[in-house]
Amino acid sequence: MGRKILFITTDQMRYDAIGANGGAVARTPVIDGLAADGVSYDRAQPQNVVCMPSRATMVTGQHVGHHGVWMNGVPLPEDAPSVAAVLGGAGYRTALIGKAHFEPLLDPFLRFEENRIGFSGRPGAHRGFDHMELATHGAVGFNHYANFVRTEHPEAIGGFFQVLDADLDVSGVGGGDTGAPQVKLNPIRREWYHTDWVADRTIAWLDGLEADADWFCWMSFPDPHHPWDPPESERSRVDWRELDLPVGYPESPAEREAILDAKPRHWRLWYDGELVGNYEAPAKWVPNTLTADQVREVNALAHIENELIDEAIGRVLAAIAAKGWADDLDVVFTTDHGEFQGDYGLLFKGPYHVDSLMRLPLIWRPAPSAAAEPGRVSRPVGLVDLAPTFCRIAGVDVPEWMDGSPLPVDDTDAAARGFERVLTEWDSRQPDGTEMHLRTITRDGWVCTTYRPGTVHDGTEGELYDLELDPLQRVNLWDDPARRSIRDDLVADLVDHVVEPTSLRRTEAPV
Amino acid sequence: MATLRSHARIQRSADDVWGVLAAPERIREWFPGVVDAQVADGVRTLTLRTGIPLIEDIVTLDHQLRRFQYKVTGPIPMKFHLGTMDVIDDPVPGGPSCLLVYSTEIVPEPMAFVFDGAISEAIANLARLLDAGELNPEPLTAPTIATGPAGQD
Repeated sequence: MGRKILFITTDQMRYDAIGANGGAVARTPVIDGLAADGVSYDRAQPQNVVCMPSRATMVTGQHVGHHGVWMNGVPLPEDAPSVAAVLGGAGYRTALIGKAHFEPLLDPFLRFEENRIGFSGRPGAHRGFDHMELATHGAVGFNHYANFVRTEHPEAIGGFFQVLDADLDVSGVGGGDTGAPQVKLNPIRREWYHTDWVADRTIAWLDGLEADADWFCWMSFPDPHHPWDPPESERSRVDWRELDLPVGYPESPAEREAILDAKPRHWRLWYDGELVGNYEAPAKWVPNTLTADQVREVNALAHIENELIDEAIGRVLAAIAAKGWADDLDVVFTTDHGEFQGDYGLLFKGPYHVDSLMRLPLIWRPAPSAAAEPGRVSRPVGLVDLAPTFCRIAGVDVPEWMDGSPLPVDDTDAAARGFERVLTEWDSRQPDGTEMHLRTITRDGWVCTTYRPGTVHDGTEGELYDLELDPLQRVNLWDDPARRSIRDDLVADLVDHVVEPTSLRRTEAPV
Repeated sequence: MATLRSHARIQRSADDVWGVLAAPERIREWFPGVVDAQVADGVRTLTLRTGIPLIEDIVTLDHQLRRFQYKVTGPIPMKFHLGTMDVIDDPVPGGPSCLLVYSTEIVPEPMAFVFDGAISEAIANLARLLDAGELNPEPLTAPTIATGPAGQD
């Protein structure tokens, strides 16, 4: 028997969401326990800050330029390589339960296999996974969770926030106590909510495996991605009225605006409601209307969702232990990208390469039988390194088509194996023609973003932050003559290592 | 408003291709995801593989121009839609050839991505089926529906 691999992802979770990374609100004892017994990565970044490109990187181990999913709505090609197929070839049983999103969600013609599997009502095999059982952020679309709610609890459908408005734009309708966008009191029972459903279906799949099976299970929670509509019964866990404002939220409008004005122009344009650079951000919502109380309420709901995830993980780990697999179980926990959650006076995400969206929680708790030393890694790693890590755990050679490397176990290992930099890219072309192209390198305590020419930028703009002296990335040093040398060095290094797409494939849906 | 355009060169005469497109209910033979199509009183009702219906007003069916135009009227919420298929005779040395140009104007704009991908796949499929002789024209029986300035409100 080999090692079992439980790969846990959340969606749109911040680095500081969990106790192990300094989070002081959400109680996450299970995840914190994994961190205490494993390796935590303090500079883990996605290769793109929206779902589809980031998830494509996780399943392929490739940079965006190689897998080709350059923005949401661009499907991962049917024949793209998959770490699940590699592990399956080594005898592993494989499953993805929860949110996949390698293919577009908005698909009325049912052109994409994920949606066809979901529409069929039965789990299906796809992308090397023997078993796909799918969910997204509510009871809509062609997925198994929506089927579950529609058929078994139809009265709960209307409890979720309705994500698209009559114009098929992402809705910014407010709710809750403060009128915050995409907040809704959801009367659904906790055990019917997608977080518990994902855990239940994971346990059911594990229960069907032979005792001596080796397995790889990607358990993919849709939360804490907006909308923020967790079960109303859980709202008493965190009272938004008692929350401190996040350190990233400048309470004074003048201070917020001064910070934004020092960044490339799309920051302030979005804040003022003059530009929306990402379809997933509500089209009609203007960030400068966001109030401090709305920031508190959104944060409270995200914390609640994270507590529910932690408890769901605990149930799954208990089920695994009951099967006698605990000693051989590797657990990898991370997310696909972050969330502003009030930083700079913003919510959601978009073409903004700062820690709010780029610094992710990442924990690898090796199997206890491996007797690995716990620790923290400060050197930069990427989600591109996950698939090679799964291969290493399974004792399989890392395929040449993977761009990443197995995660280091400590900083000495990281230094020896060349973990010096991590790259993050953004490309977008919106239906209205708006185009933005960002390339970012994080290295030696600096984060440096260049802008290619588009409809908003002329290609001369940039951002440069000193992560040690300016952990909130408020002071843009791009035009500081005293930092010109480090800027030039970082840009040259970025150019040397970035993997550019050979072409931008067709966008098949807005999301 | 978003405007889309896809095209395909098909190794059949324009009359042959028009002989397929001029029967609007035959869309189910070449448009992936469409499992049924019924035409009555100038309205085409499609049933998608998901069970979702798509109701369309036929705006133009012009045998002389070889032009077909339609508007999606529901239940997918469209503020404006106009789809246009033109078959243009474009012979090349060595055999028959024509161009199929499929244009769409659409509001809300986010739906443009959805329709663009589906239409591109559909006309590629149509071209493949026609080139392979798996779709064949029928005599023109549908009456001409001609409007004034190309289907505008």
